[in-house]
Amino acid sequence: MTLPPFLRAAIVPLRIMMQDRLAVIGLCVLGLIIAMALFAPVLSTHDPRHINEIEDGSVLSRGVDGWELQESLGPLALNDAAHRAGEAIIVGRGGLAWAREGTGDWVPLDLPTEADLHAVALTPERRALVVGEDSVILLREGGAWTPVTAPEEVRLRGVVWLDGASALMVGTGEEIWLFDADTGAFTEIDSPVGRGFPLQSVALDVDGTALIVGERGLAVRYDPADGSATLERLGSTRDLNHIHIAEGGAALVVGERGTLLRRESAESGWSADDAPDTRAMRAGWIGDDGQAIAVGRSGLIMEWDGTAWQLVPTESERHLRALLVTGDEMLALGSDRFVSRLLPPSREHWFGTDHLGRDLFSQNVHGSQIALLVGFLGATLVVLIGTNVGLIAGYYRGRTETVLMRTVDVMYGIPFEPFALILVLLFQPSLTIVILAVSLLTWRTVARLIRSQVLSLRERPFVKAARVAGASDLRIMYLHIFPNVLPLVFLELAIIVGVSIIAEATLSFLGLGPPQAISWGGILHDARLSGAWRTAWWWNLPPGILIMTTVLSVFFISRSLEVVANPRLRARQ
Amino acid sequence: MSRRGYLIKRVLQAIFSLWIIATILFFLFRMGLPDPTAALVTEGLNAEQRAAIRAQFGLEEPLWRQYLLFLGNAVQGEFGTSFSYRAPVADIVWERLANTMILMLAAIVLAYAIGVPLGAWLSWRRGSRADTTGIFVGLMFRSAPMFWTGMIAILIFGVGLSILPTSGMRTLPYDADGWWDKILTLDFLWHAVLPVLIVALYYLGSPLLIMRNTMLEVYGEDFIEMARAKGLPERDILYKHAARNALLPVVTQLAVTIGLAAGGQVVVEVVFSWPGLGREILNAVRTSDFPLAQASFLIMAAFVITLNLLVDILYTTLDPRVSFQ
Amino acid sequence: MKRTLMLTGASIAALTAFAAPGAAQERVPSVEIFTTTESYDPIRYEGAFIIADAWRELGMDVSVRPLEFSTLLDRFYSEQDFDATILGWSGRVDRLDPQFFLGTLDSRQGGLGANNPGGYDNPDYDALYDAQGAEFDVEARQAIVHEMQELYVPDAPVVVLFNRDEVVAYNNTTFTNMNAMAGEALYSEWVPMEAEPLTDRATLRIGGPQEPDNINPLASTSVWGWKWMRLYYDRLVRLSPDVEPVPWAASEVTPVDDVTIDVTLREGMTFHDGEPLTAEDVVFTFNYYMESDYSYFDSYLAAIDTVEQTGDLSVRFNLREPSAPFATITLSQIPLLPQHIWEGIENPGELTPSEIPTVGSGPFVFDRYDRGEFMSITTNADHFHADEINTDAVEFVIYADAEGVFTALQTGQIDMTAWRLEPGQIPLAEENEELTVVSVPDFGYYHMTFNTRRAPFDDVAVRRALTMAMDRERMVNVLLDGRGEVGTSIIAPVNAFWHAPFIERFEFDMEAARAELEAAGYSWDDEGRLQR
Repeated sequence: MTLPPFLRAAIVPLRIMMQDRLAVIGLCVLGLIIAMALFAPVLSTHDPRHINEIEDGSVLSRGVDGWELQESLGPLALNDAAHRAGEAIIVGRGGLAWAREGTGDWVPLDLPTEADLHAVALTPERRALVVGEDSVILLREGGAWTPVTAPEEVRLRGVVWLDGASALMVGTGEEIWLFDADTGAFTEIDSPVGRGFPLQSVALDVDGTALIVGERGLAVRYDPADGSATLERLGSTRDLNHIHIAEGGAALVVGERGTLLRRESAESGWSADDAPDTRAMRAGWIGDDGQAIAVGRSGLIMEWDGTAWQLVPTESERHLRALLVTGDEMLALGSDRFVSRLLPPSREHWFGTDHLGRDLFSQNVHGSQIALLVGFLGATLVVLIGTNVGLIAGYYRGRTETVLMRTVDVMYGIPFEPFALILVLLFQPSLTIVILAVSLLTWRTVARLIRSQVLSLRERPFVKAARVAGASDLRIMYLHIFPNVLPLVFLELAIIVGVSIIAEATLSFLGLGPPQAISWGGILHDARLSGAWRTAWWWNLPPGILIMTTVLSVFFISRSLEVVANPRLRARQ
Repeated sequence: MSRRGYLIKRVLQAIFSLWIIATILFFLFRMGLPDPTAALVTEGLNAEQRAAIRAQFGLEEPLWRQYLLFLGNAVQGEFGTSFSYRAPVADIVWERLANTMILMLAAIVLAYAIGVPLGAWLSWRRGSRADTTGIFVGLMFRSAPMFWTGMIAILIFGVGLSILPTSGMRTLPYDADGWWDKILTLDFLWHAVLPVLIVALYYLGSPLLIMRNTMLEVYGEDFIEMARAKGLPERDILYKHAARNALLPVVTQLAVTIGLAAGGQVVVEVVFSWPGLGREILNAVRTSDFPLAQASFLIMAAFVITLNLLVDILYTTLDPRVSFQ
Repeated sequence: MKRTLMLTGASIAALTAFAAPGAAQERVPSVEIFTTTESYDPIRYEGAFIIADAWRELGMDVSVRPLEFSTLLDRFYSEQDFDATILGWSGRVDRLDPQFFLGTLDSRQGGLGANNPGGYDNPDYDALYDAQGAEFDVEARQAIVHEMQELYVPDAPVVVLFNRDEVVAYNNTTFTNMNAMAGEALYSEWVPMEAEPLTDRATLRIGGPQEPDNINPLASTSVWGWKWMRLYYDRLVRLSPDVEPVPWAASEVTPVDDVTIDVTLREGMTFHDGEPLTAEDVVFTFNYYMESDYSYFDSYLAAIDTVEQTGDLSVRFNLREPSAPFATITLSQIPLLPQHIWEGIENPGELTPSEIPTVGSGPFVFDRYDRGEFMSITTNADHFHADEINTDAVEFVIYADAEGVFTALQTGQIDMTAWRLEPGQIPLAEENEELTVVSVPDFGYYHMTFNTRRAPFDDVAVRRALTMAMDRERMVNVLLDGRGEVGTSIIAPVNAFWHAPFIERFEFDMEAARAELEAAGYSWDDEGRLQR
C-alpha cells in the first residue's frame, strides 16, 4: 500500500508519538476530556445550575446524646402531629397521614384527600379532625374518615377541640370557624382585626378559652362561653407560627426570627425570651415543669434549660415543623423541601453537592467545555498571530522585522497576569475578553521562536532555489518555509493550550470568568468564597485534578512533539 | 556593533517599550473606567461632591491634556494620590513590589537549585523508573494551578496539621525598622515556607526538563565520549563535564523567568494573603482606585523591563558568544 | 386589607388601559436586571437569576447582567441608566433614625447621583417626609413615618428583598461580656470598652478583611475608617447599645427651643497630648467641618446655622430649622478635634499618612497603623470612662479576605471578627466549642429598585405583579440559609419603633401576579409572552 507523500510525512511523527508511552496516555486522556466536553449535557446527571432540594418525612428523636434522625416516613413532609389516649396521628403534605397505637409502628392512613394537611386534633373519645389546604376538613367518627364540606373556600392552618363535640379551626384569611361535630354546622366568628391576616395556630387554654396566633404578632382569644373573640397582646409584632399550652397553664408561642414568647403559668404574663438563633421557629412544646422545646428551620432545635434557651446541635439541614411529645418520647417532625447542601459524594450526587445543593459532578463535566474552548481557541489565536509575525519578521527582515520584533519586546515588558486582570476588570467579564486576555500577550514567545527558525531556514538551498525559480514571497513563506516550522508550531500550540487552560482557570478563580459560565476555576472560586472548602474535599479536589490532568496530558503530547520538532533530540532517545 | 553602542540601544529600547506600555495603559483605563469616582457614591457623596473630586484629580481636563499630565508625572515618579488610601501611590507600591520580588526570587532560586541537579541526575538515569517519575512529577506541578495546590497545602499544613502559618509575611504585631529588618527574621522565613514552596514547585518543571534534555544532547558530544574512553567515573562525567556544558539553555530560561518575576503570581498572593503588588492591583481595580491601579501596573512593567535589560546585559557580559545583535 | 389594596392598584391600571381603547396589543419591552458580580456578592448575584426565572414565567423577556461594583453604582446612581437594579444599603447606626432611608424615595432626591435613582415621585410622600423631619414629638413622628410606609409600599417602587443577619463570632475562652449591637454586630464602639478578659491578656484582638481607607478625620469616607477612629475620638453624645443617645463628652444637652440647643461639656477632659478640651475646641471642630471640603458629614451638619461659645464649657447650636435627628445623629457622629493641632492645617484633606494627626480625647489612645497589616490603640487611663473599661489595648489585624479571618479565629490569633462570616463558615464556627456565634438582625437591606421612569416599570401594576413574582422567602431560605428576613419595608422590622407592621406584604403568588396584570389590561400571546 502506498500513501501520498504528505500523509507519509505525517505518519512519522505519529509513529514517534505512539512509541512514547506518556504521549499515548496523554492522547487518551485528552480524548476522554474532549468527549466529556462534547457530551456534557448527556453525561451530567443533573442540571449543573439547579438548586437541588429534597422533601422528606423526617423524624428526629431525642435520645440520650441529643437529637437523632430516625427512619424516614416517606417522601412527603410532615406538618403536624397530635396524640391522645394512646393514639398518635401525624399529618403532612399531599393528604399524607400516619397513625400509631401506643408504642407500635407508624401505619399509613388512607385519607380521602390529596391536599396538603396542616393540622390534626384528637378528642379522648377518639374523634379526630384534620384540616388543610383547598378547604379540606376531615372528621373521623368511629373508624371512618369523612370529608366535611366547608362553608366557603379556605386554607386552614390550625384546629383544636374545645370539648368532645365542638372544634375551632383557623385559616389564612383570618377565618375563625366553630365546628359542631355532632350537627356538622359551622359558625363563623368575627375576628377583632378583620384585615385578612393569616392565622396559624390555635390552642386550648386552661380556662376553656382558645388562644389563636397568627402573622404580625396577632393573638386572638375566643371564649366559647359568650362566643366572643378579643384581641390579646403577647408583646410581639412578628409572625407567630405555633402555640402550645400545657395542661397546667404554661404556654409557649414561637414565630419568625427566633420569636419565643413564654408564659410560666395561666396566671403569669407573657414574656419574650432571647433566642440563640434568629431563624424561623415553627413549633414549640412546653411542659408544666418548665421544660420547653422549640424547633424550626434548618434543623434548629432549642431547649429551655431553666434560665435560657440553648441551641441543641443537630446534624440536620431539615426543616422541622411539629413536635410530638408523649411521655418520655420526644419527636421533632418535618421536613418540607430543604436544600441538599454540601452533601458528600453519594449515588445520587457522584461528586457531592455545593453550598447551594447544586450537583458537582455535572458542574465538573460542564466545566470542561469552557476550559477546552478557551484552551484551544486561545491557543489557535496565539499560534496564528505568533506564527505569522514570526514568519513575516524572519522572512522579510529589515524594517518590517524591526517593527514587529520591537512590538514583541514591548509585549515582554507587560506582566501577563496583572494585565489580564486589568483587561477583565475594566471591560466586563465575558468569554471574548477572557480569550483575549489569555491570548493577547502569549503570542510573543511563539513569534520569537518561529522567527529564529525562519532566519536559518531562509538561507537554506531549497528556499534559494524556489526564489530563483521565481516563486512569490507569499508562496515561499507559506509553501516552502512554513511546512518546515510546522512541528514547532504544533509543539507551541500544545504548550499554549496548557497555558491557556491554566490562565482561564486562574481568571475564573479570581472571579473574573464569564458570568454564569461553569468552569473548573469557577467551581474552586465558589468553594473558597463559600468558606466550606476546608471541609468539603469533594468540592475542591475534582476541579483541581481535572485541570491538572488536562494540562498534563497536553504537556505529555507536547513532549513527544518536541522530539518530532527537534531531530537532534530524536536521535538521542 | 560595539558593546557601548549595544548598551545604549538596549536602554533606549527599554524606554520606548515603557512609553508604549504607559500609553496603552492610560487609554485602556480611560476606555474601561470613564468615571472612576462612581464608586464613591456608596459613601454618600452626591454629584457635586464627586465633581469636586473629579476636578481635583484632573478628570475634567481634555483627554490629551490628561495624557500629557499623566506622562509628565510618571517621568518624575509622581503617580499621584491613591483614591482610597489618600496616600502617595509610590509609597504604597514600592513596598508591595519588594514583597512580591522576595517571594518570586526565593521561589525561582529554589526551583532552579533543585531542578538543575535533579534534571542532570534524571538524564543520567534516563529511561529508568526514576526518570519517568521525575518527569511526571515535574510536569504535574507545572500543570496544577497554583491556587489549587496552594489551597491544598493550606488545608494540609495550616488547617490540618497546624504546623505552618498560612497568611501574611509576619506574625502580628511586630516592630521592624524598615523592610530588611522585616525580612531578616526567622518568623518571616516561617511564613514564607508555604507560598515559596508552592511557587517553586510550579517553576520546578522547566529547569528540570530543560536540564535533562540538554544533558541528553550533550552526552552525544565527542568530549563526553572521550571522557568515557578515559575511564573517568560516570558521576564525574555527569557533573563535571556534561552538566557544565548543558547549563547555557537553563541559564537562558532562568533569565527569562526572572525577567518576568515582577509580574508575580497574583493567585498565590491572594491565597496566602501575601501583601504583594499583584493583590494590590486586584484590590485597586476592584475599588476603582485607578491612580493606584495605573501606577502599580506601570511600576510593575518598568521593573519587568529593567530586569529584562539587566539580565540581557549580564548575559552578554558573561557569555561573549552571544552576539550584540 | 390585602384585597382592597389590590383592587385600588388594579383599578388605577384599568383606568389607564381604557385611555387607549382598541389599540393593538404590543409586547412588553424586554428588561435587564443589573446585579453584582458573583465574587462581589454571590447572594445578590444568585438572587437576580432566581428573580429572572420567575419573571420569565410571567412572560417577560428578562436578562441578568452582573456588573463590577463600581460600574453598577455608576449605572444606577450617576447615569440612572437601568431597568431594575439589585443593590443594598448597609445599616449604620445613624440610619436607625428613619430620616436617611425614607429619603431614598423622596422625589427631590431623584436627580442624577442622588439617592432616589428609581425616580419614585409621590407629592404626598414628599410632604410627609418634610413633616416627619421637623416633628420633635416622637410619637407624632412615628405616626407620620408609619403613614409614609403605608403610602409607598402599595406602589412598589422598590422591593426590599431581604434584611440579612449579621453573623459574627468570638472566642469565648479569651473574652466575655461581648454584647452585639444592631447594625454593628460585635465591632461596635462599646465592645472594646465592655469586653472582659478571661485570661492574663487584656488586649482585645479583632480581625477583619477590610481596613480604613485612611485615618484622616477630614478625608476618610469609609465605615471602616470611622469605626476605628471613633474609638480614639470622643463625640458629644454616644449612642448606647440600645441606640439611645447618652451624654458623652457633653454632660448635658438641653434644647432651649426648636432651633436652639445648649450643650454643656464634662469637666476636666483632656486630649491625649495633655491639652484641655474646652468649648473652644467644640466650636472649632464644628466650624472646621462646616468650612472644609470634606463632604462626608454634610448631611448631618446641614441643619446647623451657627455654633457659638457661651462659656468655658458651654456651647450653643443655632439650627436653621427644627431637626428631629440632630441630637441622635449629628452630635453622636462628629468627632471632637483638638483646635491647637488642626487650626494650622490648611488643606486637611491632602495630608499624607505620616502627617495625619491622631490626637483625640477618646477612651483609647492611637498607637500605630501599619497599612494592610495591623492597627492598635491603648486604653486612655485619664479618660472619664476609664474605670469602666476592662481591656488595656485593642488590636485590629487586617487579612486579605474572609478566609484569612476565619482561619485566624479558629487558631486563636484573634478574639473576634469584625465582619460577617461566610455561610459555609457558620456551621464550622458553631461546631467549635471555643467559639460563640452571634447573629444580629440587620436593619440595612438589599433591594431591587425599578426605574419608574421607564416602561414597563412606569406602570404600578407591573411593579406590583413582578414583586409578587419574587420568591423572596426562597431566596432567604436557600441563599441565606434562613439567616435573614424577607423584606417588607425600607424601615426594617428590627427597627421596631419606626417600622409600620401592617403594610402590604406581597407574598410570592404567581396566580395573584397574573391576576394583577390581567386586571391592568395585559394579556399573553400564543407563546405566552406578555403583551398589552
